[in-house]
Amino acid sequence: MIVATDLCLTLEERVILDHVSFKVARGESVALVGPNGSGKTSILRCLLGLVPFEGRILVHGHDAVREPIAVRTLLSYVPQKAAFGDAPAAEVLAFVATLRRIDRARIPETLRAVGLEAHASERVRTFSGGMQQRLSLALALLSDTPVLLLDEPSASLDHDGQQTFFDIVARLRKRGHTLLLASHRPEEVESLTDRVLHLDCGRMVGDVAPPTKLARVIALSARGERR
Amino acid sequence: MRLREIALVAAREVRDALRSRWFVLAAGCFFALSLGLSMLGLAGAQRSGLAGFDRTTASLLNLALLFVPLLTLSLGGLGIAGELEDGSLAMLLSQPITRFDAYAGKYLGLLAAVSASILVGFGATGVIVGVSAGGGNVRGFATLVALTLLLGAATLSIGTLLSVALRTRARVIGAAFAVWLLLVYVSDLGTIGLTIARNLGPAQIFILALLNPVQQARVLGTLTLSQRLDVLGPVGVFGLDQFGMVGLTVLLLSVLVATAAAPLACGYVWFRRTPVT
Repeated sequence: MIVATDLCLTLEERVILDHVSFKVARGESVALVGPNGSGKTSILRCLLGLVPFEGRILVHGHDAVREPIAVRTLLSYVPQKAAFGDAPAAEVLAFVATLRRIDRARIPETLRAVGLEAHASERVRTFSGGMQQRLSLALALLSDTPVLLLDEPSASLDHDGQQTFFDIVARLRKRGHTLLLASHRPEEVESLTDRVLHLDCGRMVGDVAPPTKLARVIALSARGERR
Repeated sequence: MRLREIALVAAREVRDALRSRWFVLAAGCFFALSLGLSMLGLAGAQRSGLAGFDRTTASLLNLALLFVPLLTLSLGGLGIAGELEDGSLAMLLSQPITRFDAYAGKYLGLLAAVSASILVGFGATGVIVGVSAGGGNVRGFATLVALTLLLGAATLSIGTLLSVALRTRARVIGAAFAVWLLLVYVSDLGTIGLTIARNLGPAQIFILALLNPVQQARVLGTLTLSQRLDVLGPVGVFGLDQFGMVGLTVLLLSVLVATAAAPLACGYVWFRRTPVT
C-alpha cells in the first residue's frame, strides 16, 4: 500500500506539488493524469527519493525518507526517458541483479520477454528510445518488486512494443503487483488502471474510479484544459 | 557504510571509465609520455653517468604535476554531471542504494581507474629504467608514484565537487579546465605577482603554496629527490627551515590528504540534497 500525505515539492522557487495526498491499495493499479507540468512525474520521483519533498510517503509501511532502502527495494521504476550509460544491455541487467541479489540466470529470459535477447551484448547508448524503454521494463521485470512506477511507459514504443508492454503489465496486475502509472495515453490508462488521480498545477483535483469517466478526464488533461 | 553496494557501484564506474574514449586516450598519452621521458632520461644518464631513477623521477614529477590534475579534474567532473544530464543517475538512484553508496562508489571507481592508469604508466617506466640503468633512487621513484596517486585523489575530489555543483557537462568541463590552469599555471604567476605587488614574505608565500595541491605535491616530490636549497625553491627552503625535513613532509602530506578529503565531503553534503530530475 502507498500512502502519500500532504506532499509539497518546490524546485528552483517553483511550486511543483502543493499538498498532494492519496492512497493506493495493495494490488491496485492507479493512473496519474494531468497536463504537462501538473506534477505526475514529480510524485514518482518523490516516491523514489530523487527529489527533496515535504510531507510523508509510506510504502508498505516504510517511510520513504527514513527508510529509503526498504522503500526502493519494493519499487521498480520505468521512466519516460530511460538512460543506462554506455554499458551493454546484459551488463545493465547484471548490475541490478547483483545489487538486488537476484539470480543472474534470469537475465536471458527477461531479455527474451521484452524482445531484446538478440541485443544483449550491444551497448545501450546505441539503442533507440523504444529499445531503451524495453530495457527499462526488463529491469522492472527482473527486479519483480511488488510496486511498479511507470512514467509514460509506452511513449517511445512501436505497435508491437506497446502490445508486449500491455501484455506484461496485465500479467503483473494479475499477479497482484501494485501499479502507479503517469500517462497521457487514454488506451494505456483505460486498459491498465482501476482508478485515475487527476492533477492540475501540482494539486490533486480529482479521484475518478468509474471507467466511463476516464476518457473525458484524459482528453481534458491531454489538451491541458482546466476543469 | 554498505561496502558491498559501494564496491558494486565502483566496479560499474571502472567499467564505464574503461569504455570512455577520453579516459583511454588520456591514459594512453600518459603512458606514452612516461615512457618517452624515461627513454630520454636514460639516454642522458648513459652520457652523464647519472643513476637512471633519479633523472627519470625528476622528469616524471613534472609530467605528473601537469597531466594528472588535467585527467582527474575532467574525469571527476564528468562523473556525476554526465549521469545527471543523461538521466542514468536517476536510474541508479532508483535502485536500493543510498546516495552515499552512489557517491562513494563513483569516486572510488574513478580513483581506481586513474590509479590503474598511473600505475601502468609509471610501472612500465620503472621496469624499463630498472632493467636498463640498474640502481639509483628506487625509493624516490616509489615515493613519486605514491605522491602522484595522492595528487590524483585530491584533484579528483575537486573535480567531483565541481560535478555536483555545476550539474552539466559543458559547465563542468569549462570549470575543470579553468581550475587546471589555476592550479598548474596561474597560481605560480599569481604568487609571483602578489609577492611583487604586496611585498609578501616567505611565510605568506608558503601559506599560498599550501592552498594548491599541485604545489604541495611539487614540494613533497622535490624534497624526496633532493634537499639542495636551489632545487627546493623559496617555499621549500622556508618550510625546511621552519619545520625540518620530517615536520615539513608530515605537514605537506597532511595538507594534501585534507585537500582530497575536504572537497569530497563538501561534494557529498551538496549531492545529498541535489534533486535528481
